[in-house]
Amino acid sequence: MKKLNFMKKAIYPFAAILLVAASAFTFIKSQDWKVNDDYTIKFSSEDPSGEFKGLQGAIKFDETDLASSKFDVTVDVSTINTGNGMKNTHAKSDKWFDATKFPTINFTSTSIIKTPSGYDAKGNLQIHGVTKEFTIPFTFQKTATGGIFISSFDINRLDFNINTAEPNHGASKLKVDLNIPVTKA
Amino acid sequence: MYKRIFYLSISSGIFAAFACIVYNKVYFFAFEIEFKKQVNPGSVIGINLLACIAAGAGYYLFKSLLRKYADRVFNIVFMCFTFASLVVPLAISLPLDVQNPELFPALAIPMHFFPFVGWFSLKPFFIRD
Repeated sequence: MKKLNFMKKAIYPFAAILLVAASAFTFIKSQDWKVNDDYTIKFSSEDPSGEFKGLQGAIKFDETDLASSKFDVTVDVSTINTGNGMKNTHAKSDKWFDATKFPTINFTSTSIIKTPSGYDAKGNLQIHGVTKEFTIPFTFQKTATGGIFISSFDINRLDFNINTAEPNHGASKLKVDLNIPVTKA
Repeated sequence: MYKRIFYLSISSGIFAAFACIVYNKVYFFAFEIEFKKQVNPGSVIGINLLACIAAGAGYYLFKSLLRKYADRVFNIVFMCFTFASLVVPLAISLPLDVQNPELFPALAIPMHFFPFVGWFSLKPFFIRD
């Protein structure tokens, strides 16, 4: 009887200790997102313009927890489409993207911060084997089924050693437009 | 003379359009790919008729101006225009929703010769030297 009373008295402090101990290992897990098939990665300039497909990777994003949000995505270089077969072949050749040697474009974010117009994803962008610190501004629009990441930014191919021998062959600065609808994973 | 040139233009345009449509079908059978927005019966008939009527106008002009050398000069000019036109399917950028754009030149380039072929195949039926 005495033992039972002791257990009754001890159960509440024990529960409290357990709760505190468990909370030490509790963390907020950022939302994982799955990219829908109707995404677009378009680039435009005076010449050329086109799009990429083959977007893969992990997208963790939570507007209320940017610290644990992260993008780690790749784009398959061989999916480039300018609408012209000859240009596509040239773009994939060793003179330009060298898709055989550098098959993917990678972006891994190191931090995501809130800005007045949306968010900035700072991280490392690797194109053509050259890795550079890069900031991708974006907005996130919630939808009924998930959300849409929208981004628009400029990129200079010469920064990534893409056909530096011919800096004036086609545009060196290209505008990139991303429209990536996602659903909760 | 201009009537016969006109009939030759129309006939060779129809002949070329028919050849294009047949070739398009064969191409689809071989590669199972179609460029419906770019190559369809309407666009094919229109472009071929236009090309052959333009050739007819050119031929009439050459005949009026050069008389004796008209045929020789016209043949060379028509050939040059045909070859020059091959740049178009190579250089054109198709809409991004079109799959396999690299297969487009192989479809379009032979078609650029059909007005030339049609014109010279049918010319003896309408105009005798």
